[in-house]
Order: sequence, then C-alpha cells, then structure tokens
Amino acid sequence: MKSLIKILVILVVLVSFTSCKKDSVPNYQYMPNMYQSVGYETYSESKAFANGVEAQVSPEGTIARGHSLFEYENSTEGYNLAKETLKSPLDSTQVDLDNAKVLFDIYCAICHGTKGDGQGNLVKREKILGVPRYDDPARAIDEGSIYHVIYYGKNAMGSYKNQLSEKERWEVVAYVLDLKQKLEGTK
Amino acid sequence: MSSHYEAPIREPLVIGEKSYHDISVDVGAPVLGKANKSWWIVFTIALVAFLWGLGCIIYTVSTGIGVWGLNKTIGWAWDITNFVWWVGIGHAGTLISAVLLLFRQKWRMAVNRSAEAMTIFAVVQAGLFPIIHMGRPWLAYWVLPIPNQFGSLWVNFNSPLLWDVFAISTYLSVSLVFWWTGLLPDFAMIRDRSVKPFQKKIYTLLSFGWSGRTKDWQRFEEVSLVLAGLATPLVLSVHTIVSFDFATSVVPGWHSTIFPPYFVAGAIFSGFAMVQTLLIVMRKVSNLEDYITLLHIEYMNKVILLTGGIVSIAYITEYFIGWYSGSSYENYTYLSYGAATGPYWWAFWALITCNFIVPLTLWVKKLRRNIMWTFVVALVINIGMWFERFNIIVVDLSKGRTPSGWTMFQPTFVDIGIFIGTIGFFFVLFLLYARTFPVIAQAEVKTILKSSGQRYKRIRESGESLAGAAIDERTSGKYVSGEDANQTKNNE
Repeated sequence: MKSLIKILVILVVLVSFTSCKKDSVPNYQYMPNMYQSVGYETYSESKAFANGVEAQVSPEGTIARGHSLFEYENSTEGYNLAKETLKSPLDSTQVDLDNAKVLFDIYCAICHGTKGDGQGNLVKREKILGVPRYDDPARAIDEGSIYHVIYYGKNAMGSYKNQLSEKERWEVVAYVLDLKQKLEGTK
Repeated sequence: MSSHYEAPIREPLVIGEKSYHDISVDVGAPVLGKANKSWWIVFTIALVAFLWGLGCIIYTVSTGIGVWGLNKTIGWAWDITNFVWWVGIGHAGTLISAVLLLFRQKWRMAVNRSAEAMTIFAVVQAGLFPIIHMGRPWLAYWVLPIPNQFGSLWVNFNSPLLWDVFAISTYLSVSLVFWWTGLLPDFAMIRDRSVKPFQKKIYTLLSFGWSGRTKDWQRFEEVSLVLAGLATPLVLSVHTIVSFDFATSVVPGWHSTIFPPYFVAGAIFSGFAMVQTLLIVMRKVSNLEDYITLLHIEYMNKVILLTGGIVSIAYITEYFIGWYSGSSYENYTYLSYGAATGPYWWAFWALITCNFIVPLTLWVKKLRRNIMWTFVVALVINIGMWFERFNIIVVDLSKGRTPSGWTMFQPTFVDIGIFIGTIGFFFVLFLLYARTFPVIAQAEVKTILKSSGQRYKRIRESGESLAGAAIDERTSGKYVSGEDANQTKNNE
C-alpha cells in the first residue's frame, strides 16, 4: 500500500512535469543567461528601424568591396546590348562544370529541366507552361544574354541575382551553353 | 578491588563527587531545562548577524560579484579567505574525535561532542563560500559529474576546485555520520529522562530506538573505530586539497610544496583555538566545569602549542625559501622581506604577532593553565589564522609577476557583511545545538568515570574498595555491603 502511494506520487510528479510542455509554444527554460542575443541578428525583428527588421537595404549607388556594378539596363535594349557585347570573365580553367551542374539543378532545372529542354518538374506537372528549350533557334541565346536573364529575369522568369553570386552566375552560364550545345548535337 | 591500575600521576578528568546519575543530570540539564535571558540575547544577536549576512548574500547573488571588493588582479580575497578559515576551524573537531580516539586519549571524551558540532557548523559556513563566490551560482550543479543532455559533458577532474567539492562534501557527510552515531546513546538518555511528551517524541525519533544492548555497544565501538580510522586520513586530505587550490598554481607564494602539511597544521591550530573559545564559555554557562576541566584546557593548549610550532616552522621555511630560491618574484610573497615592508605590512605583522609570538606564551605553565589567558590567546589565534589565509591569498595576488597588474584590495561592506553573517549563522547553530543536544558524550564519559573520576581515584588511592561505589542513593537506595545484605536477609 505504501509503495503504491509512492509510485502514484512519482507518477503524478512526472505527469505534471511533462504536461507543462506544449509543442505549440517554445518550452520552458532554466536561467536563459545567453540565450537571447544582445547584438542585432540579421533577420530578427527590431523596433530600432522604421520597417521593423534588422536587415536594412544599403544606400543606392554604394559598392561593397569585392563586388562590381552590372552596367546593362533591365530592358530589351540592355538585353540586346548584353547579347552583343557581354563576355564571360571566366576562362575555361576557371569554370567548374560539376559545381555549375549542382547550381543549375538546384535553381534552374525545376522549370528548365536537367537537360535544358524546357521539361522541368513543374512543366511536366503542368504547374507552369511556356518554358523554352535552350536550342530554340528563335532565341539564339549566348553567354551575354544568359547572364542578363539570370541577373534581371525575362518575361515570366524572375531575377536570380540574389540566389547566385557573380562567379556562380557565370558558371551557370557556361553550363547552360554546354547544355545548349548538347541539345543542338554540336558537342 | 585494585585490579585496575592507573598511574597516580594522572590528574582526574571528571572532578567532583560524580556518579553516573550525576553525569546524566548534568548533561541533560541544558536540554531539559529552559533557556535563560542571556541565551536569548546572544541568540538574537547571532540571528540578526545571520540575517544581515543572508541579505548580503542575496544582494551579491542577485546583483553580481562586482558588489564585492574584488578586482581583475585579485579575484579571490575575503570569499576564499573565509572559506579556508572556516574549513580550518572545522578540522579540530575531527582531530579530537578521530585522531585522539585512535591514540586512546581519554580526555577527548568531554570535548569531542562540541568539537564535532563545531566541525559541522564550521563546514556548513565554509560550504557557503564556494557557492556564493561563483558568478553564476545557479549553475553550481555543473561541478558534479552528472550524465546530461550536453552530450554527457563532464567536469575536468584536474582542478583542485573540483577536488574541493568532493573533499568538503565527503568531509561534511562523514563528520555528520560520525557525530550522529556517537549521539545515539546520548539522545536515548535524553529520551529516557524527558517528561514532556513532545520532547520525548522528538528524542525518540533522534535516537533511532537505541536500547543499549551488549551487541549494540559492541558494534557501536567497532563503527566508531572504523569511522575514526576513515576520518583521520580524511581530516588530513581535506585541508591538503584546500591547500592545493593554491599550491598547484603558478602564482609566486602559492606554488609551494610545503602547503599541504602546513595548511593541515594551521587548520588544527585554528580549530583548537576555536574549540577553546567556545568551550571556555560553554563550561561556564552550562555548568560543565567538572567535565571540561582545567586539565582539558591545558591539554588543548598543548596541542595548540605543537601545531602552532609546526606552523611557525612553516613560516620560517617559507621566509627562508623566499630568499634561498633566488627568484626575484619570491620577494613579494606573503612571507618575505617585501611583504614585511610593503603595503600589506600590517597584515604580515598581524600574522607574526598572532600566530607566532602570542601562542609562545603557552609554554609558561601558569599561562597555559590560566583560563582567561587561554581565552585571549585562542581569540588572537583565530584572528591570526584569518590573517594567514588573507595574506596567502591577497598579498600574493596583489604583487604578481607583471608590475602593471599590481594593485591593492579593498573589501566592501558586502564582503564584511557576509563574513559577519557566517559568524552569526555559526553561532545560531551552535547556540541551538547547546540547548538541544547533549553537549558532552555522557556515554563515553561514564566509561572513564571509574578510572579517571576524581571520586574513584580518591577511593582507590586511599586503598578502599570500589565495590558499590557507583551506586547512587537517589536511584538505587543506600548501598549495603555484602555482610549487611546477608544480615538483612536473615532477619527476614
């Protein structure tokens, strides 16, 4: 009888402990001394700024160290100009096509397809339509135009400059050209 | 009845015409009686001091260690000084109850109970400091090697501060068990003598149903001896470990191989001084002068003299090595020419005066047997041993290897308040103890009554028979010798 009461007491204590924890809210903490950041963390909220977030946009016209300006406009003229004049700064030794494939499969293949034939997963499932093939002769893409499209987007496609760094963009450009040649059968 | 031989040179340990019954009555009196006014006054003062100290502790923990006088150079000062001081005081209790038991010193029996109580209360005070001097005391449980959710992150067993945890906690628990075991027959005596039902109930619980059978006593003695054998290495190792806090460091003045034995000697030195301080007062107020006699005080003074001598030799050694090492850093250690003339000269000379010069007076038999003087010397030693720890910690830290880091230490009222608070807490516990616990191990004293009691010594020395001498008329009626008894029987 006595041991039964003891077991019951332990059970009640255990249940009361576990029942206090709710999965819908963060759990209780014991002395959270350095749990909350004193410094500003990038994506956290803050009343210190008008728009309430820590991540503030840098002023117009500033250039960070290690970055450069892209001097082609986001327009048809800019697109045409890039098509004619923009060349890749990477030579063949600097392009890592294996890495480029990884980037392409992550960011591009979902619509464009891993082969660049416009048969990505979303296209096959008819979530999105009208994705062109890379060997579409009407478009006749080249490295300048591909870069311009990655940078600014075109028609239904959005910009990918926030996802990819400058070098990564040029690597993807090289990979797209590689896919294009494979589709055309010239390689 | 002269089968017992005791050298006539030995002075009696229990004086007065004491019988077994008298011992029970005398020991039980403070427990069964009522506290007088002066007890309440002293208790109130101690309680106020304790509460003030508690306030200071709460203030420290809730505000931060910065309320103390510590600085970036001197990160340990009053906190660890008081810690070592209290631990040191605690050591006399175990020495008296364990080491003197191994050496079969009968005089320990009148003082061991209070000395052990003092040990436990002093260790409790000491145990406060390792917690409250932490920056984040609520994480103190991290010092224990408990399996946990941090990938079972454990403690580093290389730190003497961790050894301190084990040493102090083991010391406290073993002392407590040893003390309580010894208390069982005495609690049982109080249980049997108390008339108030509530009191009887309490002492029934405390005495664990002790009935004093032969087998119980046999095992009791065995346990006492084993615990004494365990407590003896413990008493030596605990303060050794405390000394390792300093000795294993690279701080000039701390890094010293003499520290372990020197700290232990100092602990016994200061502990006995505290025992003297307490017992000289207690024998008076609790009317126990027949049990805690001048002889006991003299014996303890001799131990103080011995350990004080060991400590003095350590001082001289430190001073000599400071010079002999040829290391320029050793000139600023706590026992060096630099310390004697530096900014902490007063602490240096307080140490020399209190621990070296004043105790030397105990070589004089007249002073050694003078209760007032003993009390003064004991107080002075308590102060001196506090200064010894203060000097080791603060003086050595204040002038380290880099002169740009040299600084001084200034305690704040919180430092002082916490120390006063621990003294208050100590006396709160001790005063409560003196009113609720049998302060003399009456069961043990009864074992030496016939060999060392004044009355029985007198009977023995005058050549009379001890037969029936222990019978108390108040409990057993008048003693009738064998012939008389036969006479009575025949008459019936």
